[in-house]
Amino acid sequence: MQKVSVSDSPHVRGKRTTRGIMLDVVIALLPAAVMGCVYFGWKALLVLTISILGSVATEVVWQLCRRQNIREIFRSMDLTSVVTGLLLGMTMSSNVPWYVPLLASVFAIGAVKMLFGGTGKNIVNPAITGRVFAFISFQAVMISGWAAPRIGALGGAVIDMQATPLTNLLDPTKGVGAMGVSNLDLLLGTGVMGCIGETCKIALLIGGVYLVVRKVIDWKWPVLYILVTGLCSVLFNGAQWNLFLPSILSGGLILGAVFMATDYVTSPSSTAGNVVYFIALGVLTALLRKYTKIEVVSFAILLMNLFVPLINTYIRPRVFGAPGIVERCKLRIAARKAAKAEKEGQAQ
Amino acid sequence: MKLKKGKFFNRGVHPKDMKYLSCDAPIERMALPQTVAICLQQHIGKPAECVVAIGDRVKTGQLIGKQSGPISANVYASVSGEVKAIAQYPNPRGGASDYVVIESDGTDETVALAPIDTSDQNAIVERIREAGIVGMGGAGFPTAVKLTPRTPVDTLIVNGAECEPYLTCDYRLMIERTEQVVQGVRLLAKALGVTNIVVGIEANKPKAIELFAAHADIQVVVLKKRYPMGSEKHLIYCCTGRKVKPGKLPADAGCVVQNIATAYAVYEAVVENKPLYERIVTVSGQAIRTPKNLQVRFGTNFRTLLDACGADDEKTAMLIAGGPMMGATILHADYHTRKTDSGLLALDAQSVGVSRPTACINCGKCAQACPMHLLPMRIDFFTLAGDYSEAQKQGGVMNCIECGSCAYVCPANRALLQSISLCKAKLRAMK
Repeated sequence: MQKVSVSDSPHVRGKRTTRGIMLDVVIALLPAAVMGCVYFGWKALLVLTISILGSVATEVVWQLCRRQNIREIFRSMDLTSVVTGLLLGMTMSSNVPWYVPLLASVFAIGAVKMLFGGTGKNIVNPAITGRVFAFISFQAVMISGWAAPRIGALGGAVIDMQATPLTNLLDPTKGVGAMGVSNLDLLLGTGVMGCIGETCKIALLIGGVYLVVRKVIDWKWPVLYILVTGLCSVLFNGAQWNLFLPSILSGGLILGAVFMATDYVTSPSSTAGNVVYFIALGVLTALLRKYTKIEVVSFAILLMNLFVPLINTYIRPRVFGAPGIVERCKLRIAARKAAKAEKEGQAQ
Repeated sequence: MKLKKGKFFNRGVHPKDMKYLSCDAPIERMALPQTVAICLQQHIGKPAECVVAIGDRVKTGQLIGKQSGPISANVYASVSGEVKAIAQYPNPRGGASDYVVIESDGTDETVALAPIDTSDQNAIVERIREAGIVGMGGAGFPTAVKLTPRTPVDTLIVNGAECEPYLTCDYRLMIERTEQVVQGVRLLAKALGVTNIVVGIEANKPKAIELFAAHADIQVVVLKKRYPMGSEKHLIYCCTGRKVKPGKLPADAGCVVQNIATAYAVYEAVVENKPLYERIVTVSGQAIRTPKNLQVRFGTNFRTLLDACGADDEKTAMLIAGGPMMGATILHADYHTRKTDSGLLALDAQSVGVSRPTACINCGKCAQACPMHLLPMRIDFFTLAGDYSEAQKQGGVMNCIECGSCAYVCPANRALLQSISLCKAKLRAMK
């Protein structure tokens, strides 16, 4: 008789693996990455390549330092560092010098992910933190080094290296249309300055739909985040409804909402917790955008990441069959009444 | 009575049901085994007390193990012959029990129980207890105890979901012996003193639904196909809309749930005066040449069952006693059929889902799949950290029904159910 294996039940398993999920995320990111390269040229491709290679190399070197077998490292590689690298590159301008994506990816994987114990153990999203690291360290290139896309109104000519549609939108003296950008342009990314992966919203949305269809993410959460941000942007600016679409379609909101805020490791585990998390994220994004006048999606997500353990501790799903809030209140009222009646009975 | 569509709990998983392997194989009576080794602990509770000695001659249906407490069950000889040994053998789920080994004399001389008055409620309950009937879906809880609940009940729910993949023994009973099962169900209802009978059948068994719907006094509820539909709490919810509160029994929601095979055993015991000494076992899997539904005497060696169905030993990558979701893997076939064994599976390497676990990425798929709305990843985390009380506080581990949906979906292949079982055992030990 052949050797039979013994396991704890269940003995049949679903076909999904971590690597498969991460591959789905990479596939979902590809349309936006490709569009970024189309709009911003070979420089964008270079940034993406450096950042992916930097991430993967950091992980491999880290594992080698832990004296793991090189073959084993590649066999157990779950593609999370590729996702991190790709996302990180996509949140940078194509004009950044080569060392910015490199340093940021080394920081993202080394300090944010591996230092805390590797995949699944990081407390904040590595790609976001990598971007914030670059943002703080290389402010000059990260805030005011935008390149103009080759397709669209600008035709590759940079007029104002500091102004993206979002900063125009947030600047009361300019407004979103300052550079002749319509909502359709914002959706397609034509003539829109910005990070490599964030300008072509339609490509990001296609990626998002792919993730939803593949059941990698739940459509409710990005939609909730985007809607709350849009609504709050309108309300904080005195109910100017014409701000709704531009504030959704400009900046890194869609990239952040679909690919970063939904990161498994750093988002709450219960449905109710997710509702709280994404609403808070939306409010925070709109609020910070209004008062800082820069793109803050990455800061908002980073900040909310830190609240996830707290949300997880206090907001937990109700066990099947356990009484709901209404029922619990009714029970409590009934118990109080009974206690009161008993007291009165004793007094008499 | 009209068909009713069941409610639905939006959790659980969709394993491939694989029932096509054996669902068209009619129930086949297996040849009388040469020797049997009958376990005295085939149920939850205390083991039965052995009432025969080595060298005794016994007949089929003769009492060999006597109930030894309120939660225990009688055990009967399944062949006629001579008691050769009373020895300890290992159980498929671990541990060992006393087994009575009987060598068959090939005559199958049978003794029946004394006939009873089937209109008397107490007599029926007493007969069910006497015949050693236990929950035959896998739990093995003595049926007579379930039929005398402390709180008043108004509904009998019969579990025809058979949501475990591969298993078809209940399905074959439902379509081949419909009348007997229905009579058994009616007897169970009479024993409980209820008139409201609900049979929940998963939608993938249209033939069984049709046959049961023909009975006017039975309400058939068509259940969506989903694992674990057969879980007591979820079956009650889907059939009646009632929810069993955490830590409570189905009887607290006014329901008693019984299995199809149990109902058939009740019919045999009450109408045919036959104690429980055989059952239907599905022998299936990709490594079985002709999957069958066999009527097997208790104590028959699994090897005999496998041989009767042509098991391909070279192809076998895993042997499972029970279903693939909740059954136990066994290292070899040298175990003996018991009251709770609904299936014996030999799976090939492609269908076996064992691989090395990787790090949890907190994807939440386990929590989405959990029919009890628990957080398995947090239970796993705290259990591995050794903080069992926090696992209960954060993950609600004690409410787990151990269906294995979480581990089924886990993309990181984590042994979630193993952590849960460990945590439950530790918490019980701490009390």
